[in-house]
Formats: sequence, structure tokens, C-alpha cells
Amino acid sequence: MSENATAHQDDGHASLIIDNKKLLMWLFLGSDCMFFGTLISTHLIYRKLYPESFDPTTLFSLELTSFSTFILLMSSFLMALAVSAMHKGELKSFRRNVLGVIFFGLIFLGCQVYEFAHFVHAGLTLSTNTFGSTFYMMTGTHGVHVAIGVFWLICMYFYSHTGKMDAHESAVDVEIAGLYWHFVDIVWIVIFTAVYLIEFI
Amino acid sequence: MSQTQIETPSPTTTQAQPAHVLKPERSRLGLMRPDHSKSVFIDWLTTVDHKKIGIMYGAIALFFLFIGGLEALIIRTQLIIPENDLITAQRYNQLFTMHGTTMIFLAVMPLNSAFFNYLIPLQIGARDVAFPRINSLSLWTFVAGALVINFGWLLQALEMMGLFAASGPTAGMTDMVPAGGWFGYAPLTSKDYTGVGTDFWVMGLQILGVASLSSSMNFIVTILNMRAPGMKMMRMPVFTWMSLVVAFLIIFAFPAITIALGQLMFDRVFDTNFFNVAGGGQPILWQHLFWIFGHPEVYILVLPAMGIISEVLPAFSKKPLFGYSIVVFSGAVIGFLGFAVWSHHMFTTGLGKVATAAFSLLTMAIAVPTGVKIFNWVGTLWGGRVRFTAPMIFSLGFVWMFMMGGFSGIMHAAAPADAQQQDSYFVIAHFHYVIMGGIFLALVSGIYYWVPKVFGKMWKGTLSNWVAVLIVVGLNVTFFPMHFLGLLGMPRRTHTYLEGFGWASYNMVCTIGSYILALGILLLLVDLIRCLRSGEPAGDDPWDARTLEWATTSPPQVYNFAQTPVIPARDALWVHKHGPENKKITYEADHGHGIHMPSNSWMPLIASVGFVPLGLGMTLMQAGVPYMGYVAIFGLIMITIGLILWAIEGPGGYHLHPEQENT
Amino acid sequence: MKTISNGFYRFLQYFSAFIVVTVLGGCNLDTRMSTFVTKGPIAEEQLNLFMLTVWVTFAIFIIVGGVFVYAVIKFRERPNDDRPMPSQGHGNPLVEIGLIGASILLLAVIAVPTLQAIWFTQETPDDVESRMGAWYSGEELAEEEAENPLIIKVIGYQWWWAFEYPQLGITTANEMVIPAGKVVHLELRSVDVIHSFWLPRIAGKVDLIPGRTNAMWIQAGDNFAKWKEKQGIVGPDQDSPELREGYASYLQEEIHNYYYGQCAEFCGDSHARMLFRATVVGDREFEAWVADEKIGHGTPDGRSWDEWYTAYEENPEQLTGDLNEGLKLFMGRAKCATCHTVKGNPRAVGVAGPNLTNVGARLSIAAGWLNHRAEDGGIDTEQQYENFFNWLKETDVIKPGNLMWEANGGGIGELIDEHGEPALLTDEEINKLSLYLQSLK
Repeated sequence: MSENATAHQDDGHASLIIDNKKLLMWLFLGSDCMFFGTLISTHLIYRKLYPESFDPTTLFSLELTSFSTFILLMSSFLMALAVSAMHKGELKSFRRNVLGVIFFGLIFLGCQVYEFAHFVHAGLTLSTNTFGSTFYMMTGTHGVHVAIGVFWLICMYFYSHTGKMDAHESAVDVEIAGLYWHFVDIVWIVIFTAVYLIEFI
Repeated sequence: MSQTQIETPSPTTTQAQPAHVLKPERSRLGLMRPDHSKSVFIDWLTTVDHKKIGIMYGAIALFFLFIGGLEALIIRTQLIIPENDLITAQRYNQLFTMHGTTMIFLAVMPLNSAFFNYLIPLQIGARDVAFPRINSLSLWTFVAGALVINFGWLLQALEMMGLFAASGPTAGMTDMVPAGGWFGYAPLTSKDYTGVGTDFWVMGLQILGVASLSSSMNFIVTILNMRAPGMKMMRMPVFTWMSLVVAFLIIFAFPAITIALGQLMFDRVFDTNFFNVAGGGQPILWQHLFWIFGHPEVYILVLPAMGIISEVLPAFSKKPLFGYSIVVFSGAVIGFLGFAVWSHHMFTTGLGKVATAAFSLLTMAIAVPTGVKIFNWVGTLWGGRVRFTAPMIFSLGFVWMFMMGGFSGIMHAAAPADAQQQDSYFVIAHFHYVIMGGIFLALVSGIYYWVPKVFGKMWKGTLSNWVAVLIVVGLNVTFFPMHFLGLLGMPRRTHTYLEGFGWASYNMVCTIGSYILALGILLLLVDLIRCLRSGEPAGDDPWDARTLEWATTSPPQVYNFAQTPVIPARDALWVHKHGPENKKITYEADHGHGIHMPSNSWMPLIASVGFVPLGLGMTLMQAGVPYMGYVAIFGLIMITIGLILWAIEGPGGYHLHPEQENT
Repeated sequence: MKTISNGFYRFLQYFSAFIVVTVLGGCNLDTRMSTFVTKGPIAEEQLNLFMLTVWVTFAIFIIVGGVFVYAVIKFRERPNDDRPMPSQGHGNPLVEIGLIGASILLLAVIAVPTLQAIWFTQETPDDVESRMGAWYSGEELAEEEAENPLIIKVIGYQWWWAFEYPQLGITTANEMVIPAGKVVHLELRSVDVIHSFWLPRIAGKVDLIPGRTNAMWIQAGDNFAKWKEKQGIVGPDQDSPELREGYASYLQEEIHNYYYGQCAEFCGDSHARMLFRATVVGDREFEAWVADEKIGHGTPDGRSWDEWYTAYEENPEQLTGDLNEGLKLFMGRAKCATCHTVKGNPRAVGVAGPNLTNVGARLSIAAGWLNHRAEDGGIDTEQQYENFFNWLKETDVIKPGNLMWEANGGGIGELIDEHGEPALLTDEEINKLSLYLQSLK
């Protein structure tokens, strides 16, 4: 580490070759891993303790969830395009792609709201059993992450119209939002596997 | 920092000229930035200067140290004789819960934070932390969390004065002060067994978690990215190293308790089943999640103390730290192993033989890096020239007391022996030797060491010797008999005890000791006030110290170093003073456009204050108090608006032109 | 309520006692809940391991502490110190590695016995002489139980203990009775919050956690084989009537006793007042106790329960005398039978509170908080009456937040509120109820 650390940035400071803000986001994501790790492991522990208490396969619609997973994956793809557009300074392309990400994010959230409403209607609530408790809290936390991401990107979209955004100054900011978005996407892949797919094995 | 936009550079010519004559500027929002405010009050509220933030952390921590100490004294007075009825069982439970919570989260952690804030940028030759405004957010969010946790006392006081009664719409507000113990074991903290106090506790800890997480990330970025040229990782002062380890511990340990508290909150508010036995929940899960956080938390508390000791002992032995790299490495190992030993808090919960054995062995393993540190401190003294200054006396006391606390720790690691010690006064003795005898003495040592730098005033006379004698004697008289109390069967957290169990005389000794200790701490405050009121000017380097912070003025200017220092070696200042000619600290040339300083800002304060209505609103809404939902929403909006304006406002900044002089 | 001056007087009293005790007596380690004077193999194993850690750490303490003190004194700065500047070396890897090696070695000295002790204390041994079939000759023991040790279910409530003997079909509260020298298997669970079972002289603690059942084994006194070993009698087959007699008198003199235990995990308001007792007795006494518990109690005036209830319903005035009056209150206005069981009485079968069978024979009430054990180990009847009376009169003072107080909307003996609502029971009625409870033995 110390070898790397002595590489100088242009301000002459001994540091890692990574932007402060980007490093901050990486640290946040590391911490966030622990958040989701705790939530997912709580879910898996209770699932193992009470295998017979509840059969979610009757409730889960793999088609719907696969669709929303696909949507989220595609939004990540668009996010990557948006970041690349920003690096090149192509503001129009950036706006188009960010709108796409926002749109797909909203679709995902819509699917989740529909799914929650459907499950509650079918009798699975927060207090029904441990499955309900862990499922809603975990997917809900993820949903909040997506919602915050969408909100962030909306802010960024409007900010791009103020004329204060350019490739030099804002590329890093967009890249950081991208990091966050990809992370949220990856977490969903894990949840999709550990919560949905696992029930059908 | 690289993309900072500077609106109206306001150059000043000399450092003698006070900063507030500069003209305030407008931010991108079109609002005035609160820079160079004529009001000292506004200046401190909106400050982003790590030094001011550090001082505020320290002052608030000392305040809560006083509160927590008062709670401890009431506890000890209640126990002075058997079957005492000074306070009720319920009040006693509130007191020990709040004593633990206050001391850990509101006294020791912020006191550590005060040292982090003040020292890290100075020790690595930086102008400020990486994100000055996030630093301000951390401070005020911490204050908000502390208010929420302690809000129950206010309600309780109002109720006792008859100004408020838990009836009508507030009938749900029973047990207004947290009383579930500082580790809040479920299901005692579920809504069947405790009242609104537990909600204050949960919300308060969540808010404190925000503060700790944000400041830790900030410090990691600062330490990794903001070091002065030549300040390689292995040249950093050990205190900075330990802070780095602690910051990593916090960002990986706090999520576990955040989720656990979230689950507890959901159990209480939405009837979920995480810890609800009737719904299939397992209370034992709380213990696992809590201690996955709780054990690293112990190292979060103690590693900065070890860092302080590793600064003070070399300075007053005129020797470098013995085995610098091994001390640093063992600190990292302690941090790492700290995540693998949590279940030793749960040896009596029926873990099973294999798990008990594994955690027992891992716990013993963690004694090795801890022992290594003690060996290295002794090695530092060996062959040195030991000066008995006030900081040194406390540091030597630390080594002694921490060693004893470590020994009872080894006794706990032997799981079958721990079955007799767990939840008895033996445990109380153990962790008070570690926390009071260890961490607290180290922090006092740090206060004595760095106050001359922070305030530029030197300590007066030899009152510090009395402080040391009273504190060390008080500590031992209070806590040593507790080993015996525990082994004679007295369980902890009992508000009273029967006669005839052989506990009465030990308890009396403990209580008398606690009064001696309290006197010592009072005297410490007297000494501090004396120093601040009428201490002689300290000079830049009153202790003939070794590390970079002593190379600048006392107190340091707002920009820390007039020019960025270039670090030639470990213990840079010592080498500069006593080393070869080619190892002097040099300074980077000024480029002529001055020192860029970050602007003050209201936004972190606004966002942080929003946590108070959010926390209280959610808590009281749960207790059925009307309109509290709106208060919570108001808080949430306040936070959101604060953050958005923060983003739009931009970091701002201005330039200072200090005189062309080094140190 | 005690006045301040009264409290201060008590303080002075204890303070002078404390001076006398510390100055003259030194440290007395043989106290009621001492872990130093053990009466069973588990506590003994735990103590031995503890003492090992004490000696190892003491050795380290002497060496490291000695070097530390020596270094501080030897290398202190002296006035007008003109010694050369200390060497600025950064340490010595060989010394470091040596010290790390030494610490690991010392820890191994503790680690090995620790592992042994973990297995010893956590695995219930199959001791032939402890099997129920080998020593229990009372009635009604199912065939398949003959191979098992005595099993007791320990159930924690806020703030008292239930002890069930499933093999024997009896239940008692707060004072368990166990046979000396026999392995007893405990199953621990809790109905509300976490408690912890701690009987320091016999065994370290194990938690009672809601939602799961923990297990532990305890044994008061050594078994025959271990006793012989300690006497220095080698050979496992050594057996003779004389040896058996020696063993019996060892149990009689050293083990048969009244042991003190307490809940060790914080469990709410009255955690401090959740104590319990274990009476260790010989096999025959144990059987007699079991038989007594099984029979339970008849009516105070000797008629059958059917006749008594007929009279109670049709013509209650006919039931006279303090005990009958007390029983009437027990079944009626005081509502005791809703929560409490009294074996024999067909209508007192409540389970929310402690089982009161033979409560008058216990040496303490209120989960060990109110004691009436006389010097000779018997019952101090006057004290017992006073304890029952006080407990019924001011339940919440003695045990704040307890169910008997809560369920009755403010206890049974006191004014319900400040408006002067009449007490559920008058002092005279409490007196009768106390007398009745005292008679349950």
C-alpha cells in the first residue's frame, strides 16, 4: 500500500490515485455491503430455521421479478452510457441516457409496489411471520436505495439544464452516481438469487 | 476539492490581519456565505474548520462525561449499603442504561473524535479534512443524536415537577428513559416490556450511527488522500494509523447495529417478528447482531487510546516508538480479529461446544497483538530518558491499568471460567479497568499533551500530580474490589442486594473509591480551566515532541501550515530538530495565489438539526402523541432541503495569504 | 418509608461494621454465593481453570510489570542529565518475535485446559450411579426413565423461577430440591425475557432464552468414584460398606446444605429480586420430599375437598377459624387460585404464578427475597408470618412491577388509588391469608 500511496497527485500530496469523492463513494458502498449483508443473512437464517412455515413459491411470480431484474440490468447499461457520454462532454446523449435510467428505475419501483400490494393482498404482511418481516424489510431497503438513486438522477438531469455541467467538472459526479447505481443493481442480483430463485430450487 | 469554484477571491496580505475583515461572498444559491462572520456564535455554528469542530467535540464529550459520571455516582451511592432505598429499581435501571450509553457513545467516542478531528490533518500536514462540510454534518448530527437519546430525562424531569403527566393522549409514554441496558437485549427491549424510552434509545443510536459513519468515511479519505508530500503510510504518526483502523472498523461494524436497531424498531412499530418469539423470531439473533457491532466497538474505543499512548511515550522517552511497524500491524490485526470474537459475550447462551471452543481460542489469540503493544511500549521506555510530565504520568498509568484489564480479559476468554464471571461484577471490573483505567487515562494523557497545542497555553504548576494520584487511586479502589464482588456471586445490574452475602463491605469500598475518582475528575476540570484562563504561552513545541503537529504554531492558524511541508522521515519534527542535515522538513514554495480555504456553511447544520424533529417525531408518534407524524415529516423535509441546498451551494472557498514564513 | 436520618444511621452502622470486617477479618471468601468454595464438579472445574488463568497472568504481570517499573525508574531523566541522547533505533525484530512466541506459548497453557473444561462442563456425563433407576425408589417412575438422570425443567418468569420435575410429576417454585452427589440434567427456558440460571457454588451460569431450550448439568458434591480418587483410594473397583459409609458421611457433612442462586441476566424492573435456592438432600429425604409434594394439601378442617366446596358455596359462614377464613379468601376475593396451584386443592390450578404447594415449608418467599431461615436451618415462624403479611400487603414495594400487582390493578393489600378506594383486603384479612399460606406445609 505504501508504495502506491506515495504516487503524487498534481497537488503534490501523497495519496491514492483516486478522486476524494469517488473514494468516499467506494467507502460508502463497502459499508452498504455490510448493511445488505446483515439483512440478507437475517433472511437466510430465518428461512433455514422455519423451512416449513411459509411457502413463498405460491406467491412469487418469477416472470414479473425476472422482468424487473432485467429492467434494472438494462438501466445499469444506460447508466454506463450516460457516464461515458459525460466523459466525452456529450450533454445531449447524457440527458437521453439518464432519462432512460430514470424511466427504468421507475418501472422497477412500480413493479415492486405492485408486488408488495399483491403480496399484502394475498396475506403476507410485515407481521405475518418471519418471512414477511425479513422479506419486506430487505426488499424495502433496496427499494429505498433505488428511489434515492432515481431522485439523485432527476436532480442531476435538471442540473444539466442549468449550464453549469461540463465534462471536466461533472464527469466525476456522474461517475459516482453511476457507481451507486451499479451497486444497487448488483445488490438486486444477489437478492434476486438469494430470495427469489432459491425458493424454486 | 479539485473542481472547487472560487467566486470572489478575497486576498489578505498578512496573517496579523483578522480574517473577519474580509467581505462575505455569495454562494451559487445567491445567499451570503457565513464566512468571516462578525458573530463568533455564527462562526462556530457554521464552521468547517477541523480544529474548531474538534474543540466542540471535546467540549460536548466532557459535558457528557460529567453527566455519565453523575449517573455513576448515583448508582454507587444506591449500592453503598444493602437494601438501600435511595432510588427505585426503575430509576436504577434507567441510570445504568444511560450511564453505559452515555459513556460509550456520548463521552468516549466523541472525545476520540475530538482528537481525530484536531490532530489528523495536523499530523499528516493537510489543510483540513477531505470533506469539511461533511465534518460539520457529523458534529451536529452527533449532537442531535445525543439530544434524542437524553430527551427522556427531560420528560422525566417535567413529569417529576408535575408539569406533564403520562395520561390522555400521552398515556403510551411509560418508562420515558431507556432502561434496557446499553446492549438492549431483545425481548426486554420489545414493546411488551419497555416503554417509549427504548424508542428514544433506538432513534438516538441510529442518528449517532449516521454521524459516526459519515465522519469515518471522511477520515479515511483524508488519511489516504490528503497526506503532505513524503508522508508515506509508514511515516504516519501511530495515532493517525490507529484512527485509520478505527475508521474502517466503524464503517464495517456500524451497519450491523443499524440493521439490528432497524429490526427492533420495526418490531416495536410495525409488529414484525424479528425478535418476537410468538411470531417465530429469535431473540438470540439480536445478541449476535449487536455483538458483531459491539466487540469491534470495544476496539473503536481503545485503538485511539493506544495511538495516544504511542505518541506520548516516545515523546517523553526521547526515543522512537519501539517496533513502529509491529505496533501498526498489531493494531490492524486487533481490528481484523475484533470481528471474529463477538460470541465471547455470549458464552452462557448455549452456543454449543464447538462454537464456544472456537470463540474461546480466537479471543485468546487477540491477546497476542494486544500484548505486543504493551511489550513495545515497555521497549520504548527501555534505554530512553523518561520525563515525568503530566501526559507521561497518565500514559504510564494507562500501561499499568490496561495490563490489568487485559489480564481479566484473558480470564474471560477461558469460557468455562467465564460461566462464573459473565454478568457478574467481575465483568464490570474488567471493562472498567479497560475503559476507565485504559481509555480514559489515555484520553486524559492526550488532553494534557495536546492542550498546549490547541490553546497555546501551558499547564500551571503541579496540580496534575494530584489529579493523577486521585484518579488512579480512585480507579483502583472503585474497581479492584469488584473482581471479588463478582467472584463472590454478585450479579451486575441489580439495584440492591440482601445482607449476609458478604458483599456489603466490598460495595462500600467501591462507593468510597468512586467518590475519590469523582474528586480527581473534578480537579482535572479545575486544572483545565486554570490552564485556559491563565496559562503561560506554550510556544510551538513545548514538549520537545516528535510529530508534525508540533511544527506549526500553537494554536495553529486556520490554514494549519503556511506552506505545505515536505516530510523527510518518520517522527518528522524530531528528525528535523536532531537528525542529519539532509532530513530537514522543507516547505513547498508558495505559488503566489495564496491558500485556498473552504467556506463556512449553514447547510450541514440545517440537515443535522432536522434529525431532532425526525427522531423525536417518530418516537412520540409511536407513543401516540398527536401531530407527531407531521413533526417527523418536517424533520425529513428539513434534512432533504439541507442536503439539496448543500449540493447546489457548492463548496465555495477563499484565499488567504499568510506571511512568507515557516512555522 | 425510611427517613434520611434513619438511612444515615444505617450507613454509619454498616460503615463501622465494614471497618471491623476489613481491618480484622480480611477477605472472607467463604460466602453464600462464593465461586471460591465449590461444592460440585462443575464449579470446581471452573474454579481450577480460573485459578490457572490467575497464576499465568500473575506470572506475566510480575515479569512485564517488573520490567516496566524497572525501566521507568532506571531510565528516568535526572537533574542535569548529561548522558548521551538515547539511541534512536526503531526496535529489534528478534525481541519482538521472541515475545510473540512466548505469549503464544503461555496462551497455549491456558487454551488446552480450557478446551477440556468446555467439553467437561457442557456434556452431561452418563454416570451409572446417577441414573434414576440406581437410586430412586419412590413411586411412579416410568420404566424408560430408569436409564436417565434426574431431569428438572427450569422455567424463568419475570421475576421468579418454576422448577418442574417431569419424571416425577411435580412442580415447585424458587426453591429446588436435588439429591446430593447425583448428576441432574437441567432444561432451561423462559416464558418472557432472558434470564440466567446461576448457582455459583455448584455451577456457572447458563441463560434461559425465550424461543429456545438450553441444557446444562449440575451435580452437588462428587460422585463415589471421584470422592475415592480424592481420598487417594486407587482402583476403580474398590468398594466396601466402610467406603460407602465414608462417602455417605462426606455427603451428609459437606454437601447437604441450602445453596443460594440468583438470576444473572438483566430481566427488567425487579431483576435484583429474582433469587432462588437449591436444597441439597440425601436420596431418602429427596424421596420423602417428592412424596410430600405429590400428596399436596387437604382442607384446613380435615373434611374432604368436595365437602368443603359444597359448604363454601352453600353456607360459607359455616367455615370458621382463621385457616378456613384464609382459604375462603384464597379461593374467593383475593383470587389467588386464578394464578396459583396448590396440589390437592382441585380448584387451585392456576399456572401464571408460582406453585404454592408446600409454600409454608420453604425457607424464603418472593423468589428468595424474603427469608425466614432460622440459624439451625429450620423455619423462623414469626419471621415467616411477617414475610407473608408484608408480601401480601405491599407487593409492589417488595417486587416492583410484578404480575400479582399488575393483574390486580394495584396489588391486593393496599389502597387502589389516592381517592381512598378500599383495599381489596383489610389487614385482618391479610392476616388470615398469611396464616393459611403458612399452614401449607
